[in-house]
Amino acid sequence: MREFLSNPILVKELRERFRTKRTVWILALYLLIMGGIPLGFLLINPLRAGTLGENSELFLISAAIHYAMICFVAPALTAGAISGERERQTLNILLTTQLSPRTIVWSKLVTSLAFTSLLLAASMPLYSLVMLYGSVSPEQVVKLVLFFAVNILFLGSLGLFCSTWIKRTAVSTITAYGIAFCFVVGTGLLFFFLGEILQQVDPDRYSHLVVWNLPELQILAGLNPVIVLFAILDESLMPSVEFAFTPWLFFDSCYLGLSVLFVLWSGYLLRPVRRRWWSWKKHPVRVQ
Amino acid sequence: MIETVHLSKRYGSLRALSDLNLRIEQGKVFGFIGPNGAGKSTTMLILATLLEPTEGQALVCGYDVMKEPAAVRQSIGYMPDFFGVYDNLTAREYLDFYAGAYKIPASKRTALIADLLELVNLSNKADAYVDSLSRGMQQRLGLARCLVHDPEVLILDEPASGLDPRARIELREILKQLRAMGKTILISSHILPELAELCDEIGVIEQGRLIACGALDDVSVRARGITLMLVRTLTNRHQAGRVLSQCPLVKDLEEQEDGFRFRFVGGEAEKAGLLQELVDAGAAVTYFGESSENLEAVFLAITEGVGG
Ligand SMILES: Nc1ncnc2c1ncn2[C@@H]1O[C@H](COP(=O)(O)OP(=O)(O)OP(=O)(O)O)[C@@H](O)[C@H]1O
Ligand SMILES: [Mg+2]
Repeated sequence: MREFLSNPILVKELRERFRTKRTVWILALYLLIMGGIPLGFLLINPLRAGTLGENSELFLISAAIHYAMICFVAPALTAGAISGERERQTLNILLTTQLSPRTIVWSKLVTSLAFTSLLLAASMPLYSLVMLYGSVSPEQVVKLVLFFAVNILFLGSLGLFCSTWIKRTAVSTITAYGIAFCFVVGTGLLFFFLGEILQQVDPDRYSHLVVWNLPELQILAGLNPVIVLFAILDESLMPSVEFAFTPWLFFDSCYLGLSVLFVLWSGYLLRPVRRRWWSWKKHPVRVQ
Repeated sequence: MIETVHLSKRYGSLRALSDLNLRIEQGKVFGFIGPNGAGKSTTMLILATLLEPTEGQALVCGYDVMKEPAAVRQSIGYMPDFFGVYDNLTAREYLDFYAGAYKIPASKRTALIADLLELVNLSNKADAYVDSLSRGMQQRLGLARCLVHDPEVLILDEPASGLDPRARIELREILKQLRAMGKTILISSHILPELAELCDEIGVIEQGRLIACGALDDVSVRARGITLMLVRTLTNRHQAGRVLSQCPLVKDLEEQEDGFRFRFVGGEAEKAGLLQELVDAGAAVTYFGESSENLEAVFLAITEGVGG
């Protein structure tokens, strides 16, 4: 733990981050949005004793907005982590120190995650208000928090990977958003289109009831955060999937695996001189 | 201390470095000189374990840069030609960060950082934010940063670029102090006079090839006796000009306020002969000797026409 806390990058990043006014503004703006929406809802549907615990709509809305905020914030915070150092021309110096590329990568990830988690933790009390309304069990809340944590980790490591891979922060941010979009919306669309196409191509074999529960499509659905979010909250989306596995568990383990992969890959990409695992160019090519 | 054996680097089809053989002994200051794009930074990047050579081997303190990068990193302090600093950190915290990055125990850092800031004359700026420091101060802070882990070898890539003459002199004084401390220093520049006073040896590189290497005087002699000469005359200036312009050994003749400047391609005997000619032509010569910018002429002469 001492070792962990004395990690120079952690100390430096936290100093840098919390000395700028920007951080305070981000936090304030975030809480304003996150708190404003339930409050607005409260104004429209005043709290009545009769409706307590029956309306899970507010909970759903809050969770969806929360998720959207995570998608928005998490990649942006890490997409500049390495490319920012490169643009400031401090990366080369950092690489000649005794910090290994892997240490640099995970320290950067931890500091960005710490900030996103701070945002998440700061808005958690709002859920207590929301829970008054909804028929949501504490168990669901725990699953939801875990789901958010995994998403933060995944999107964070995705941003980090893009920032190691791509030289410019601007391009890396856009790429990170693009890839995140593929995962969040792309898997859902693919799921939906595949199902529809199969129904149209062979209506007898793939009837409306069967098609959505094909194992391939189930996996696709289990990879889509939106569908999984609805499953956690026991809400049904249009084509309802009867999962043969626990969706949140499947989702969390898949995305954890992907995150680890991204972090390791970033560590590898960051090495200035890479060890060759394969060597197809054994003999140096002669020029001239 | 530093040794390269047949070191080559290609970027695609461009040969940035070809067959470089260098040998720098412990405690020596080696000046690395060459025009833009000669391959100085490339060599230094390879030595700093930041770039993979295409061919050949580079050793720093006996460690191979490819096989034992961690040991090499521990024994070098590398200052790139361009480097940035972090915002929102004070000079003290900046050095503390790098001390941490070299795994120096926190208990030793306070004294170490104070010493380093003292060495580079920045003690009064210890609590200033680094991005508010001037270019020269940042450069000196960068030098202090190189020294955090007390490396044996310093690799400084154009440390004086972008500095005014005064800051250059300050930097040179600090480097002399480091030389006195027994550090081996590899320093690059494209301005030879800047290094002349400081270096024990120089190497001249052009288009990736080392074309001259050795103690400063040897290199000058190796430049086929080319020297930049200055001639002043009291009377008969016109005559002197005519003699000089007719002499085949005189190149790039320039007439200036205080006399004639030219490159002379020849040895001592030819020089004496030229003076005799001038005197015979009736010019009252008051000064006949090497110009103070001699080193630049050497540099131009050495790098002229190589590979071209
Ligand atoms: N990343 C790169 N990709 C392709 N070519 C490169 C790269 N870096 C350097 N070069 C080329 O390698 C050659 C040597 O460059 P290098 O930076 O070593 O020169 P230099 O001696 O440091 O010059 P300067 O005095 O301008 O700093 C140049 O021709 C340059 O164009
Ligand atoms: Mg250079």
